Amino acid sequence: MPGRDGAPAVEVRDLTFRYPGASQDSLRGVDLTIEAGDFVAVVGGNGSGKTTLCKTFNGLVPHFWDGDISGRVKVAGRSTARRTVGEIAHDVGYVFQDFGNQLVRPTVLDDVAFGPLNFGLEDWEARTDAALRALEIDDVAGTHTWQLSGGQQHLTALAGALALAPSILVVDEPAAEVDPRRAAQVYEHLTRLNSQGVTVVVIEHHAELIARYARSVVLMDAGRVRWHLPVEEALARTADLADAHIPAPQVVALAQGLVPDVAAGRRRPPLTVEACAALLREAGRSEQPGAALLRTPDHPGDDGSPAPDAPRARNARSDVVARLDDVRYGYRTISGGKHTVLDGFDLTLRADERIALVGSNGAGKSTLLSLLSGLAVPETGTVEVDGRDTRSVSAAELSSQVCYLLQRPEEMFLTDSVRSDVAMHPVGRQVPDAEALVDQVLDRTRLTHLADRDGRLLSGGQQRRATLAVGLAMRPGLLLLDEPTSSLDLRSRDDVIEMLAALAEHIRCTVVATHDMHLVAEWADRVVVLDQGRVVADTDPATLFDSPDVLRRARLVPPQVTQVGHALGMNPLPLSVDEMSRRLAPLPTEELV
Amino acid sequence: MTTVDVATPDGTTSGAGSTTSRKRSGLDRMSVEWVKLELMRVAYATRGGFLARRDPRAVLGWYVLCALAPWFTYSTPILVALFVLALGCALAARIGPLLLGLFTLGLVGQAAYVLVLVLVLGGDTTALDGLLQISLKLGAVSLASMAAFVSLDPEKLSDGLQAMRAPAVLGFAISYGYRMVPLLIDEFHDIVDGHRLRGAPHRGHGFLGWRTIARIGRIAVQAFYPLFLNTAQRTRTTVEAMETRGFTSAGPSTAGRRLRLAHLRWSVGDTLLVVATAATIAAVYTFLPTS
Repeated sequence: MPGRDGAPAVEVRDLTFRYPGASQDSLRGVDLTIEAGDFVAVVGGNGSGKTTLCKTFNGLVPHFWDGDISGRVKVAGRSTARRTVGEIAHDVGYVFQDFGNQLVRPTVLDDVAFGPLNFGLEDWEARTDAALRALEIDDVAGTHTWQLSGGQQHLTALAGALALAPSILVVDEPAAEVDPRRAAQVYEHLTRLNSQGVTVVVIEHHAELIARYARSVVLMDAGRVRWHLPVEEALARTADLADAHIPAPQVVALAQGLVPDVAAGRRRPPLTVEACAALLREAGRSEQPGAALLRTPDHPGDDGSPAPDAPRARNARSDVVARLDDVRYGYRTISGGKHTVLDGFDLTLRADERIALVGSNGAGKSTLLSLLSGLAVPETGTVEVDGRDTRSVSAAELSSQVCYLLQRPEEMFLTDSVRSDVAMHPVGRQVPDAEALVDQVLDRTRLTHLADRDGRLLSGGQQRRATLAVGLAMRPGLLLLDEPTSSLDLRSRDDVIEMLAALAEHIRCTVVATHDMHLVAEWADRVVVLDQGRVVADTDPATLFDSPDVLRRARLVPPQVTQVGHALGMNPLPLSVDEMSRRLAPLPTEELV
Repeated sequence: MTTVDVATPDGTTSGAGSTTSRKRSGLDRMSVEWVKLELMRVAYATRGGFLARRDPRAVLGWYVLCALAPWFTYSTPILVALFVLALGCALAARIGPLLLGLFTLGLVGQAAYVLVLVLVLGGDTTALDGLLQISLKLGAVSLASMAAFVSLDPEKLSDGLQAMRAPAVLGFAISYGYRMVPLLIDEFHDIVDGHRLRGAPHRGHGFLGWRTIARIGRIAVQAFYPLFLNTAQRTRTTVEAMETRGFTSAGPSTAGRRLRLAHLRWSVGDTLLVVATAATIAAVYTFLPTS
């Protein structure tokens, strides 16, 4: 579906835009041409104007956001200035980052048919069917949208846009809230649509996804297009990307660290795991004997022994923080049936453990967290926290020992300022020196300067830090976090991981339910893999990433660096770029001693 | 997600179940989940019933007849008959235990307090008759409303209203409102839980449980601040998305309206329903004493 007369899909000339009431221009003289059939990734830091730019493609800017605008935007050869948002919608489909709120009808079928019906298209049924089938969600057509998983919701929003058969599809952060497998699924669908002639524009933080799927990259910086380059060239400009808080894909970082030609820019960096492994082999990089001893000093397994179960053996003697014994738990469904999530479930959490709870959606991770927090009590079996049966204490009493941080930070903001949210627990429980404690916690989470603002108005990364601060002020022995890194850009994510590591000394045991394998690799020392309410593996990250069966069953994708390590036959598998670079680098002689 | 005992103090259990004060059974949590599921079942007419199969316009017509009928008489026998008919329809429409329970509680509670008031203020038996009449009228109308709205899922309701030339925005608002209900219930729960876990701890019930009541009231009020702000944030995307999907403030195009309503079929059964209802009401008025 190319534009008329081979016109570019999108042509932006000298576009400047300022939101009503804003003190600065959001777009400043943007010039950009997107050819029909391209697969473009738009990248840039927060506030660089990515989303505003994309909203000019479908006319939301300036027709809905009626600010000061100059310059022009042509979509499929026609100027957007004199067309309505509704007219442009036939050319440009748009999927919002916050896709859940894009769904406005009760069932999937209704929602996908919403656009075609509103425009009065006689063939709305055929279009709806085609869109549902194209994304393989026709089997959930009759389901209520609030019952869908995040991934299915995203596909429904995408189908709603596709039902109008647009020639250009804009998707804002397709991978933000879904596990890696599902993100890949969405991208596979986009790739197929692209091969059928649809121009795809994505806003994306994940360099690895860009490397794998995009054909060209637009870097936005302070309201300008800094460059628009083919993907290999774009990803080689790691310094520019790092400025925009887009860390290079791990394969690029590895190649630049270990292959001088790539570092010097004489060679294109590899974009896939296979290419990277081949390049490293060719450069003669293989593990030096004894290099495994040089694993990150503060990392698990650092006791010198690469034995996979070392951390567990070490912890076996430590105190038990919580114990689940033969637990069964389920909930009722709307159809009146009962869905058992956990059955005959045993797990013991010990002091000084950093536990990652992984597994696909619906595997029972959140249920396990709410049982541990005492918000839910098991149907049969016992949950003990600090030696107390959760049935015998109320969740409120337990909150001095266990803190549960919800997945959506805005639900943790109960008052109108970060400071009073953090102070709520210590002040309510009349902790001596509550004020000093609050100040100290705010300082430690670097929130002092934001303490008087409403948590809802902070950026994603700041919101996560604020919820961590709330948790810290409760001074729990056991800290439970649900998806602490979801929908964060990579820099904020690293920030959260770093902060979690730094907090270890204040908390006896931390449990994180997550899809984020970087978090698992870089932070956890014990991984519990859940699948359909059962523990299918309970081990350390390196061993997990070396167990293909478990990975497949739980729909996990290891970080790239681990995959490269696997391809090079390293044992144990490396968990971070730093570690792998150290192990593959020529060894300085004094460290061999 | 949540526990349930919004309305009960920590540590003890809610009305749903257990007895000892230091043992939590898990029923408290289950009962709130139950209320939520029950609401959704009601909202989405999952139970069927005789009205659920009818065209939404016929159901709305039926409802108008039933809701107006009790207001034209002061005859106790007629009102009793209408009340019994409405109750029969409500049960046949399968309104479910939650609504029926709430309805009974409301009706009985109201009658009881008005009765106490009447007796304390020195009323006589004529007052009782008036009391019975107004209770019967309100009861009949409430039962008819429940029967109608339990049988109409939001889509049918908004289609029915649109078919009767109500503004498209009204129809949309109804179905969107229903869509938000489960999200809001979940979020409200999480927030109330947050207050219970992080707020000042519970310090006994106090005289007649006043402390507990005050605490519940305070939490319920405080929970609305985050709830409203979070909802306001959600709707930003919703409004933009609706614009891009052709639902502007003027509503969808006339062609869109025609397509959307094309599936509505007025059948013989629908005519029969409306005619039979009108005839029954007329019969009640004709054959029963009017005073």
